[in-house]
Amino acid sequence: MRYRETALNLRVWLKVILLLALISCLPPFAAFAQEAAEPVCIGCHFKMPEKYSQPVALWRGSIHAENGVFCNGCHGGDPKDAANAMSPARGFLGAPQEPAIPAFCGRCHVGVLKDYLASAHGRMLGKGGPTCVTCHGNHKVLKASLELINEKSCSRCHSFERAGLIRAAMQETETTIVAIEGRIGAYKKIGTDTEKLEKDLFSVRNRFHTLFHNVNVELVKQESARIQADLKKIEVVLAGLDDAHRKRKLAGAIAVPFMLLVALVLHLLRKTFD
Amino acid sequence: MALLKKVVDWLDVRVGVREVVEKELTGYLLPRNINVWYSMGSILLFAFALQVATGMLLLIYYVPDADKAFKSVTAIMNDIPFGWLIRMCHAIGSKFMVLVLLFHMLSVLFMGSYKRPRELNWVTGFILLTMVQGISLTGYLLPWSQLSFWATTVATNSANAIPVVGPYVVKFLRGSTLVGPPTLGHFFALHVTVIPAGIATLIGAHLFLLKRTGISTPPFGRPDTVNRWEGKSYSYERHPGGIPFFPNYALEDLRSIAIYLACFLAVVFFDPYLFFPKDAFIPANPFVTPAHIKPEWYFLANYQTLKIFPNELIGLSLQAVAMTFLALLPFIDRGPERHPLKRPLFLACFAGGLLLWIGLSIWGHLS
Repeated sequence: MRYRETALNLRVWLKVILLLALISCLPPFAAFAQEAAEPVCIGCHFKMPEKYSQPVALWRGSIHAENGVFCNGCHGGDPKDAANAMSPARGFLGAPQEPAIPAFCGRCHVGVLKDYLASAHGRMLGKGGPTCVTCHGNHKVLKASLELINEKSCSRCHSFERAGLIRAAMQETETTIVAIEGRIGAYKKIGTDTEKLEKDLFSVRNRFHTLFHNVNVELVKQESARIQADLKKIEVVLAGLDDAHRKRKLAGAIAVPFMLLVALVLHLLRKTFD
Repeated sequence: MALLKKVVDWLDVRVGVREVVEKELTGYLLPRNINVWYSMGSILLFAFALQVATGMLLLIYYVPDADKAFKSVTAIMNDIPFGWLIRMCHAIGSKFMVLVLLFHMLSVLFMGSYKRPRELNWVTGFILLTMVQGISLTGYLLPWSQLSFWATTVATNSANAIPVVGPYVVKFLRGSTLVGPPTLGHFFALHVTVIPAGIATLIGAHLFLLKRTGISTPPFGRPDTVNRWEGKSYSYERHPGGIPFFPNYALEDLRSIAIYLACFLAVVFFDPYLFFPKDAFIPANPFVTPAHIKPEWYFLANYQTLKIFPNELIGLSLQAVAMTFLALLPFIDRGPERHPLKRPLFLACFAGGLLLWIGLSIWGHLS
């Protein structure tokens, strides 16, 4: 009798354990931890002494990191193979000498390189003039914006007077671009297809950025006016999106009270059958 | 009206439709003290039907290919007429469905309706809950966004904590070592065929059991709330003098569905992004891990439980024990009393368990 009871208990426990095992396999009980996947350069340099790890920390706050441009985007090498990550055979370049910096950055920023070389800054390359990293920084590369034209930065080499005039001429356009960028970003966050708008803004902003290296105040003013006209076109599309979202809310303002009205009618109808 | 009568007459002489209506609708009597919580089942049926309908419409344009999935969802949201509405109804509908399902289960628990002879109703309902969670999880991956990709990566990764077979289970779930195109194929197949078919079958079984056993009487407003069923033979719980299902209760159900729809549409039209973090609209990128990955609101308590314990296996095991206990509750809690106020221990466990779940969810959200 005791043996049968023990066997029965065992069977019950076995079933419970089996069920537990099955339920514990269910995905809903998932642990939400993180799995990282980055180029090998970051994994190694991050653990190294400050001199070698600092570029990683700086890069994380850069416009490059924001746009998914990793170490190998500038320095070459193999981002997947730690042993050959810095092999010249795999295209590793390392840090360029100062006169080679514009060409180094210009592999991607082709138009900007051209503008820079034609500018007063570019003409002083190799003669003590500034390179890309002088204003934009290296590793923590700063986004091209009017903020970069500031007294503290410019007066390291010359007076701020002319730079200040140029900045004032471009301020309105810059403000509009930033505002449009914010609106596009807000729509992107809610799943709106902003690809074309982003491309248009990118193109307009690039044209605007070509003015950044220019020192002709009149030319800057004229080109700024043309850029403003193109920005208006983007604003019209954004206004269309605003309107579509307003209409959705209007539809909701009709649908929700309608359903509540239906509920009330059904409730009253139900009362007639009491 | 004459045409309708002719159609009904035509059907009646062939399939006896008036007899079916009499037996299943006008002659199907329900307890007089039936309450609004009994409508949760009908709301769930409606919500499931809405998911099926919107899911079918989404299938027309959705492409289950890792290279095209995100773009196809973007096209549905932006280019297809009313595509945003259909997608939002489907995505928000799944969250509302889980919410109503929880209400349904809580009301059944509170009123002791899971007790014998309705153990099978409870078990089928419990399996339905896990299947709805499963269909939500598999559907989560389909947009192939950063949120989808990483949530699925970490969700499937947790199976690694299972001793011995963990890595095999992970590989089985993903269809490859890492989440990738095969995972999308697996989850898509599960989401649109296997799990919906399972849910439909279980709904059928749940309704069959409901019809065969008879609807339970709410324990409130009655002097005697003890279940007199002795388990010696099959018996249908009749409610003589009750209200007919049609039109009386059908109107109550429809009213509840209309209120549900009002709440649902309010979210769809006024705050459709309530449940979507920004990572939900960024294409999946295996090289960029988002800073904060959090599960859906109904998994937040599970998520926080796992964070509390240093060992993932302990956290998983505890959850498995709790879920198994809930699944087998009708076989553990066998007392005949159903009124919650006459079952203080049950009431304390019910309130404590609910508060714990809410507390863990809030903690998980804020952590």
